[in-house]
Amino acid sequence: MLYPIVFIALVASPLALIARLPARSLIAWGLAFIPLTLFGLTLTQAGPVLAGEQVVEEISWVPALGLNLTFTLDGLSLLFALIITGIGTLIVGYAGHYLGADSGLGRFLAYLMLFMGAMLGVVLAGNVLTMFVFWELTSVTSYLLIGYKHDYPDARRGALHSLLVTGGGGLALLVGLLLLGQMVGSYEFRDILAAGDQLRAHSLYPAAVILILLGCFTKSAQIPFHFWLPGAMQAPTPASAFLHSATMVKAGVYLMARLSPALGGTALWDVTLAVVGGATMTFAAIVAMRQFDLKAMLAYTTISMLGALTMQIGLGGKYGAEGVATNILAHALYKSALFMLAGVIDHECGTRDLRRLGGLRRYMPQTMVITALALLSFGGIPIMFGFVAKELMLEAALETDLGATLSILAVAAIAVTAIAYLITGWRLFSNTFLGQRSTAAMQQHVDDPTPGMLIGPGVPAILSLFIPLVLLAPVSTLIAAASAAIYGKPLEVKLALWHGVNPALLVSLSAIVIGVAMFRFAEQLANMRGWPIWLRGDMIFDRLIERTLTGATALTRTLQEGRLRRYILITALTMLIFVGVPFISFGLGAIRFDLDPQLQFYEILAAALIPIGVIATIKARTRLGAIIAVGVVGAMVALLFVLFSAPDLALTQLLIEVLSTVFLLLVFSVLPVRFESFSSAWVRQRDAIVAIAMGILMGGLVLATATNDSFAPLAPFFLENSLDKGKGANVVNVILVDFRGFDTLGEITVLFIALLGIYGLLRLRQGKDDVTPERVPTTATEPLSEPVNTQR
Amino acid sequence: MLPLLLMLSIFMLFRGHNLPGGGFIGGLLASSAIILQMVAFGPKVARRILPVNYLILAAFGVFFGALWGLPALFAGLPYMQAFWLPEPIPGVGKIGTPVLFDIGVYFTVIGVTTKIALLLVEEPILFPFPEMKSVPVDHQEEVA
Repeated sequence: MLYPIVFIALVASPLALIARLPARSLIAWGLAFIPLTLFGLTLTQAGPVLAGEQVVEEISWVPALGLNLTFTLDGLSLLFALIITGIGTLIVGYAGHYLGADSGLGRFLAYLMLFMGAMLGVVLAGNVLTMFVFWELTSVTSYLLIGYKHDYPDARRGALHSLLVTGGGGLALLVGLLLLGQMVGSYEFRDILAAGDQLRAHSLYPAAVILILLGCFTKSAQIPFHFWLPGAMQAPTPASAFLHSATMVKAGVYLMARLSPALGGTALWDVTLAVVGGATMTFAAIVAMRQFDLKAMLAYTTISMLGALTMQIGLGGKYGAEGVATNILAHALYKSALFMLAGVIDHECGTRDLRRLGGLRRYMPQTMVITALALLSFGGIPIMFGFVAKELMLEAALETDLGATLSILAVAAIAVTAIAYLITGWRLFSNTFLGQRSTAAMQQHVDDPTPGMLIGPGVPAILSLFIPLVLLAPVSTLIAAASAAIYGKPLEVKLALWHGVNPALLVSLSAIVIGVAMFRFAEQLANMRGWPIWLRGDMIFDRLIERTLTGATALTRTLQEGRLRRYILITALTMLIFVGVPFISFGLGAIRFDLDPQLQFYEILAAALIPIGVIATIKARTRLGAIIAVGVVGAMVALLFVLFSAPDLALTQLLIEVLSTVFLLLVFSVLPVRFESFSSAWVRQRDAIVAIAMGILMGGLVLATATNDSFAPLAPFFLENSLDKGKGANVVNVILVDFRGFDTLGEITVLFIALLGIYGLLRLRQGKDDVTPERVPTTATEPLSEPVNTQR
Repeated sequence: MLPLLLMLSIFMLFRGHNLPGGGFIGGLLASSAIILQMVAFGPKVARRILPVNYLILAAFGVFFGALWGLPALFAGLPYMQAFWLPEPIPGVGKIGTPVLFDIGVYFTVIGVTTKIALLLVEEPILFPFPEMKSVPVDHQEEVA
């Protein structure tokens, strides 16, 4: 049943294009049945998983690469799959309302479905390579979603940043995963997870960890790669809500959590995660507090929460695992609600700038209640699910094995973050719903949206309250299964609202008290001086891209400055350095000079005519003379082929010789008859030296290849098998079309590409010349009609 | 000359499996024949005698060649594993996927070589002289 769960969304995505028709919001809710079905299907698989087992399905895909299409459902996958499909259902329906006036809704929903399928693939994959394929697919589809409003430069910039950062991280991740697979000898997650001790002792372990973490940190927007996430807020709000609450950015967290039983337990892994995560959490929480744009605010709190999750994986232990699982769920619920509410406010008021909003409590009471619920969970106020999650986070910090210093730092960071969250939440709420409505800044008619649009944010917001009050027991089972996968051993989990008076509760309560007390200074805090430029990662990244492009252009201009002799010079020099140096260092011993005693005088004559022809070519005064001299060289080479019984080669050589003479004549007929010398003597001497060196190198290489006997020659194999397996007596041809047919296919492809290049060069230049349009030949059959004009 | 040379090139193509020849040599031979035509009578006449789009011919050759690697894939064998008809066809010889692949090579070589020559000959910047045009046209009228 796991295959349908992954592939239904991918296959059904084109279906979403019907949402371009009218009655879009209705169609969107209809389409929401697809993720709802997936949610249901996932639930049917939940029974054995919650009992502590795994559901595994496997198809061999590319066995040579160890690439199996394995899908596994365990607790962690189940938690993620339920979040993705559950929130996905609400988002699809909500998008129908939000983008109801946009004829591109169909395209948007198709991207969304594709993305959802890719995300399900990431969390259900049981093979690291399969997972990587889906991981990259999420990068690509999220690029499409973020750049959905592609006529806005900011949207394109945000999409490009997100693609480059996550894609670049993806490359590091791929190498890391390959190292992992090489160390274990299998690319299956279950084998990797079972080989933890072997991995940690391996000499490649640090390299693999660093590469994998690079991939995860870029994907999950950890410092210093966090800057792409606020830029990605250019996406339409439903996409932001989906990507940044429940899915895309959590992929990095998912992978770290998935691999932590195998890779964790060392200082490298634990401390890196704890420190980077903690720094990201605190930094982003403080930045979030000072934002004025609703979505930017939520974007930074998302970064902060991703930091918190990373930190908890690093802190480890029973509470760390539990805390990760619980916080993932709690965050997905309240953050998706908040993003969708920001969209509602933007949609109804025409702005999401906190300085222009205000006084909405009279006009949007239902929206206000739902926002309040979501914000209370976000702020970690008791009896909300966010509170339960925050308590676990504090427990993880208090109980960590990483030493007292890190423990105290982590607790302090969580406390600061909690205070910042409260102030952020308060600013969001008070600036939107309280105070006076400024009519000038908003649309004239403001009220609650249609009920359909409030279902999206309403369900997760209400769940944030209902889970701790009513559903704590079933959710505990789910969290237990998920945290067991993160911890690596089965866990007994009993989520509770009240743990008695303990240090975690005291820290939590004092943070709430301090936060509430600071509410009246909230606006002053937000209006303090801005950030220095060096903290603006996106600006630095923009410059980096710019520099790369200028650098690449400069390099191209130097290497390919447009003169043929420069190309040939650079090619020859490169070859001399990269082939010549290793050849002189290692290959000289292979050369032997033993003359064949059977050598006939006409063979020597033919060979001697070759250098004579070459010298004649160089010395020729006219082009015709040069062509004839080159022809002599070619003919002699062909003669040698005949003498040494290679008729195929001789035939080819002769034909090529004829053709190239024709080509040369065609081109030379428009050039002056005599050669004229423009280059200085120095340049010609330099070219002569390079040419001679190149000739010696090639000659040496051929000699070394021919006289080398350290490898078994291939000829006997071909001679023996040609008639038998290749069904042909002409060995050369059998090699070409059968034994090495694949090479030949590559060669004819290259030949064709060369033709396209020549075609482009000759035809495109015509269009670029300052020829007036009517003089450009209209059809290819009569290009010669125009020179008549030049005659006049 | 042209029909004779083209016949020879096809002969070369098919005998290639057992005697010197093959798709590459055959293709070169055929395109030399066409180019000879072009040099003698000019590109317009050459185009009229053999109205072929050589760019598409070259593309077709690559496609055709790649196509005959597929049967092996369907049989579950590695790409381009050879298949042969059990009995030789009279006058043509044994037919198998390598021979068909060789025909793809043949077409590619003809297409690429001839197209490059055509591009050069028809390049107005290279041949802006009216003599190049008038001579072959006169010649062609004599022939006609």
